[in-house]
Amino acid sequence: MSEGERVEEEPRIGVFVCHCGLNIAGVVDVEAVTEYAKTLPNVVHAEHYVYMCSEPGQQLIKKAIKEHKLNRVVVAACSPAMHEPTYQRVIEEAGLNRYLFEMANIREQVSWAHASWPDRATEKAKDLVRMAVAKARLLQPLTPIKIPVTDKALVIGGGIAGINAALNLANMGYKVYLLERGESIGGHMAQLDKTFPTLDCSICIEGPLMVDVYRHPNIELITYAEVKDVEGYIGNFRVKVEKKPRYVIEERCTGCGECRDVCPIEVPNEWDMYLGVRKAIDVPFDQAVPLVYRIDKDHCIECYKCVDACGPREAIDFSQQPEEIDLEVGAIVIATGYDIYLPYDDPRYGYGKYDNVITALEMERLHIAAGPTRGVVKRASDGKVPKSVAFIQCIGSRDVTRFPYCSGICCMYSIKNAVLLKEKHPETEVYILYTDMRTNYKGYEEFYNRAKELGIKFIRIDLEKRQISEDPETKNLIIQAETEEGETIKLEVEMVVLASAIVPKAGAKDLARALGLSVGQDGFFMEAHPKLRPVETLVDGVFIAGCCQGPKDIQFSVAQGAAAAVKAAEILSKETLEIDPLVAAVDESRCRGCGRCEEVCEFGAINLVEKEGRLVARVNEALCKGCGACSVRCPTGAVKVRNFGPEQIRAQAIAAIKR
Amino acid sequence: MTNALEEWDAELPMKVLKFETADSLVIERTLYLRKYSLILDKNRCVGCEICSLACPKEAISVKAAQKVEGQPARKPVVDVDLEKCNFCGICSAICPFGAMQVRVDGEKVIPVINTESFPQLTRDIFVDASKCDIKCLELSDVCPLNIITIKALDKDGREVKDVNAVERPEELQISIEIEKEACPCCRVCEFKFPQGAIRVNKIFHGSIRINLDKCPEGCRDCVDVCPIDGTLYLGDDGKVRINEATCVYCGACRIACPEDAIEIQRTSIRHTPVRSGAWNKTLERLTSPEYAARELLAKGFSRARDSVWRRLGWEVPRG
Repeated sequence: MSEGERVEEEPRIGVFVCHCGLNIAGVVDVEAVTEYAKTLPNVVHAEHYVYMCSEPGQQLIKKAIKEHKLNRVVVAACSPAMHEPTYQRVIEEAGLNRYLFEMANIREQVSWAHASWPDRATEKAKDLVRMAVAKARLLQPLTPIKIPVTDKALVIGGGIAGINAALNLANMGYKVYLLERGESIGGHMAQLDKTFPTLDCSICIEGPLMVDVYRHPNIELITYAEVKDVEGYIGNFRVKVEKKPRYVIEERCTGCGECRDVCPIEVPNEWDMYLGVRKAIDVPFDQAVPLVYRIDKDHCIECYKCVDACGPREAIDFSQQPEEIDLEVGAIVIATGYDIYLPYDDPRYGYGKYDNVITALEMERLHIAAGPTRGVVKRASDGKVPKSVAFIQCIGSRDVTRFPYCSGICCMYSIKNAVLLKEKHPETEVYILYTDMRTNYKGYEEFYNRAKELGIKFIRIDLEKRQISEDPETKNLIIQAETEEGETIKLEVEMVVLASAIVPKAGAKDLARALGLSVGQDGFFMEAHPKLRPVETLVDGVFIAGCCQGPKDIQFSVAQGAAAAVKAAEILSKETLEIDPLVAAVDESRCRGCGRCEEVCEFGAINLVEKEGRLVARVNEALCKGCGACSVRCPTGAVKVRNFGPEQIRAQAIAAIKR
Repeated sequence: MTNALEEWDAELPMKVLKFETADSLVIERTLYLRKYSLILDKNRCVGCEICSLACPKEAISVKAAQKVEGQPARKPVVDVDLEKCNFCGICSAICPFGAMQVRVDGEKVIPVINTESFPQLTRDIFVDASKCDIKCLELSDVCPLNIITIKALDKDGREVKDVNAVERPEELQISIEIEKEACPCCRVCEFKFPQGAIRVNKIFHGSIRINLDKCPEGCRDCVDVCPIDGTLYLGDDGKVRINEATCVYCGACRIACPEDAIEIQRTSIRHTPVRSGAWNKTLERLTSPEYAARELLAKGFSRARDSVWRRLGWEVPRG
């Protein structure tokens, strides 16, 4: 059966009710629903099964289609977002057009929602089945739409996840644009001193990958740039990128740093968590990729000493303007990473108030040889190496008033920072005040044990009851806490390191809005399925990797970067893609060319074209989202969304109220 | 929770602090084991407009002090915006009264001078104490800013406190010390001391004009705030008169004037040679685009001159 050819034969509908184990059957009387379905008009067969999506369940549907000559199928089970494609494939395999299928969601919308009222739940399940059958009667066979694919990818975010996604795609032969908001790729990993549990130097293992990205012939690196707008759809995204002016011409800058040497202005360095300084013309760190200097116009006094120092290279251009770049890509990988929570709003810890209270990321900058203290851990108050340090866990994380989730990596990085400190200064007393220690991956438990052997003291305290105060004389810190048993602990240390939460990157929400992605309550991007589709999103062709999806450590970010690359390649490797034809269609004989549909379309998917001397509406099927706004606006009923037309919706609505 | 995320701002608030006492205004930026401070010495500050015009980040503002009925006008008040200050030291380099100081970790520095991004003011003060005798000891308070110290020394160079106790006072040597960095080069001492004892070249050159028609009846605010006594004074008719010979063109009077009646046009500033865009812009703001361009022309900095002209939309001369 091809599209347009109306099915005139009498509908023969089969209804299949799924138990979903006890998920549905534990609340809904599936037998009663099945028996009820049999009474509905045009239903020639109904049955129920424990897992309809399982192989035997699928076989059962196929068998019934053949035996009862079914030409429509209704499955009452979970959400169509979950299994609609599964059942569409099943009926297609049995010889039916995949669009002659309707789903009634009796799990999310019935059994899960109304678990306390089984009787009423069963009634509602019957209502939903009746509505689905009413609509199924009027379904028409359709043909999927074929769209071309641009075989290039965009990776947003140049941290370790984005770097891996870009390298994997590029190695598979696809052209990749790697977009980075900051001046250099590398992300948070480039800020760290060592990585747990092997104590590899972080930049030493990431640096070569950064250089690989820079040198790769298939990767075009776009740094100091942000996404402004995204249009299009799977296989055919158009992305508008704004490149901020560096006031240094990338192609001419040799990275020699002579300009930095003559610059008079010192600016707090964001890269150093504002502990150290950089010049008003500088790179954030020596291994930056690309090694291109940038002028911080907010602080530059325009003395032009850098212009003199640059000399004949003439790389400095104060007149640079923001540059807009248009990219066309077939798939997008988002790897925007995270920010670290700075707990200055929580008076319990005295962060920002007491000199010697710092966050773990600041501790990294103190440990690192290129940091503001050249790798020596010193107290801010007197510049001395602290004789006692306490690491306090779960700052902001697992706090119902702030970030209720576990940030996942803090236990390990605190152990790592403690081990580094203890190895450098064995005489320093090191404490880790924790509530639950989580060391649940390969080699982590062993690392924890190593820390204990080194003499690091682990003290378990109550998450809620802890407070830091400062001795104004010595600037030492007094920690007051309680054990789970209610015993009070008082500990005086010379320095406190807060393991603060991982939070979504500032601006992640704007990106989510531009792409139409869902964001969880915690602010991280939502994956399509937490177990089975961890790097996919509900927007086709857009994938996520790394900490933008939730806190995770380097190895998982790397793995997700590679996974997202594979999922993207799945699209890029095809010449054309099939998409659902459930979009608006125009009956040209009824169209008067008034253009009202064009006015209401939010997606620019419908416009007037001239045909045989008159204007008619035409739908760009790839852009159309099937929202139906044009259909409602059309005065002559010429525009309808396929299988969601007035007749189908009306039938469903009438069935909803008429038992 | 969602609220915590929305309220939370990823930017770290910089540890910038501002303290004010009767004697000073201090802006402090504290990084890890590094502290920047900008210190305004209120005793030296006369409330002029020079630093506020020179600051490349427009971080300094100067406003007329609030007037108290029946009392003479007080000097205008200088304030620094702690969010804008860069600690570059331009204010410190340009202040003719030496009232601004930048310190890094307590040590006095002028970053822009170290990198030759800004010139130093040229204070040509020539002292020939041999022209003075003990009568000059009475002249120590001629300096309107009190920065001249005059001492009588004996043959061995020791200070003699009581000259009347000395047998032959005419044999005493006179020493004159001037705190150069605080001297705006007004030339008052040059006129008051014996001929040739002190010779001063001005730093700022220009002109000052008062539109007397605008002056309110009985107003003498400009006279009260002028740091160089005798430069502005009231004539017998009650109108303000100017002694331009000692005017340093600092602009304190212009800030204090309630009627905007004072016009000051600085035309040149004597400074050490420098090649700096920051200076060109400061010069433009302190003098005028025309005079700044003239200086650049004189220096033959055609490239920089052209850039000024281009910015003003003027036609850039060829060749």
